[in-house]
Amino acid sequence: MSIGCRDLRVSAGGRDLVSVPELDVAAGETLAVLGPNGAGKSTLLRALAYLGAASRTGSVLLDGRVATTAELRRAVAAVLQRPVLQRSSVLDNAAAGLRMRGERRGEARRRAGPWLDALGVAHLANRNARTLSGGEAQRVAIARALAVAPRVLLLDEPFTGLDATTRTDLLADLRAALDQQQAAVVLVTHDREEARALARRTALLVDGEIRQIGRTAAVLDTPADLECATLLGFTTQLPPALTGRDTTLVARPERCSPLADSTPPPPDTVVTDGVLRRAVPLGGATRLDVDTVTGPVTAITTADTAFTPGSPIRIAVATEHLRECAPAAAHDASVRNRT
Amino acid sequence: MDVLGDGLLEALRLLLTGDEDTWAITGLTLRVSFTATLIAFLFGVPAGALLALGRFRGRRVLHAVANTGMGLPPVVVGLFVTVLLWRSGPLGELGLLYTPTAMVIAQAAIATPIVTALTAAALQQVDPDFLLQMRALGATRFRAFGALLMEAKLPLLAAGMAGFGAVVSEVGAAQMVGGNLAGETRVLTTAAVLATSRGQFALAIAFGLVLLLIAFTVNLAITLAQHRQAAVR
Repeated sequence: MSIGCRDLRVSAGGRDLVSVPELDVAAGETLAVLGPNGAGKSTLLRALAYLGAASRTGSVLLDGRVATTAELRRAVAAVLQRPVLQRSSVLDNAAAGLRMRGERRGEARRRAGPWLDALGVAHLANRNARTLSGGEAQRVAIARALAVAPRVLLLDEPFTGLDATTRTDLLADLRAALDQQQAAVVLVTHDREEARALARRTALLVDGEIRQIGRTAAVLDTPADLECATLLGFTTQLPPALTGRDTTLVARPERCSPLADSTPPPPDTVVTDGVLRRAVPLGGATRLDVDTVTGPVTAITTADTAFTPGSPIRIAVATEHLRECAPAAAHDASVRNRT
Repeated sequence: MDVLGDGLLEALRLLLTGDEDTWAITGLTLRVSFTATLIAFLFGVPAGALLALGRFRGRRVLHAVANTGMGLPPVVVGLFVTVLLWRSGPLGELGLLYTPTAMVIAQAAIATPIVTALTAAALQQVDPDFLLQMRALGATRFRAFGALLMEAKLPLLAAGMAGFGAVVSEVGAAQMVGGNLAGETRVLTTAAVLATSRGQFALAIAFGLVLLLIAFTVNLAITLAQHRQAAVR
């Protein structure tokens, strides 16, 4: 089953928190909604399921038809950012979604069991859910949602607060679990790697608007505007005044390298002059914060640097790593980069 | 000391030999107080849920009112219910004054704010996203609310017990609206007051012991439930 929305707006205090003219996620597809904190990601996710008491206008579609709240309840299962588990055993928690849909306890437990196994927490089935670690609890919450065999699965930053190893394992287990279902999945996240690992398409949400949507690899590599660029890690921004180009060029700091005074710039590079404000050791690399005539520029290098704060420095970026970007102010409500 | 010792012995004899009046009074006490608690539960749980979960103007003021109501003097409640049910009062035509029904009404009025305030406190202890998560799993409002009550079942049980404890032990309202009529509206507390005033200390102590037994049983039940809950945590 596909899910989508038309002219979906969520407002509070006379201000639009989210405004999405159009969004569609096909059955079996995973869409990542990537955005910074406060962009309205969770609000959008809840609006898609008609959850919460926020003021909403517009419509949510299931298989192209405007859905009622009751239809959404049957079709959708959502995993909130923080696992909210009941005061009972892990197995009963995993069965809770089915119980909430009217299934008898025994049958709900029988159907939930395999999902605990798929998420790697079957050995905890008889434990009290209140004794679980954060990662275990999130696995149970995901198993609980998958157990209802939802036709639409909404995931609200399910990996937040997990340590790196737990997160990587859970990502892999979730990917495998999603492959077993034909659900339309919307994953809200602020982490690019999660989008890359799980989603075929990615939408960038900034200030409640989808600024960019398309295939994940393309979106993550070609920011549409400066705010998208910042969100995607293209934080080194070279305005026209610095480069002589028509538009601002952006690059990832790790693609920018310092040049020694005497070194001629390599071919096909853009070189920027500035003054080193500070060098920040990052463990195995160094971040160089450079002041230029148009503002700060950042480079990350793994090479040994002899630059001292206050000294002149040249930053070179290969043109293949530069992307042209429209200023965010020039952005209109239309969604760009559809692919 | 003799009075107390003899009183205790006589009280035990009364209870163990199955004094008919004592057991009749105990039966009426339990019936009136349990009914009043049940009514308080029926009104107090939804009201408490509204205070805990509702989003409306004046919610905090109402919450404060409910909290204040926990300390409602039974005599004041008895006075108001008496005035309402008095022959020339607004509900006088019902002829309920000096009946067990009047006592149930008064005791329900005492217990309802207690159940309301404690229910609100109980539900506020549950994760604020609990209802949302249950809805997000496909629950109807009704099922989600049922799951919330189950999640807070122990503190809700405590709320009911607190309400029961308050009404089973009060004497002011029972005396005023019931009239302490022998065989009709005499309950343990009013009977104990009467027996004491007549110098029948053994009888008064017997009534007191039964009251204590009831209080102990109620508290034992909730303590055991709490320990069971703690054991599975």
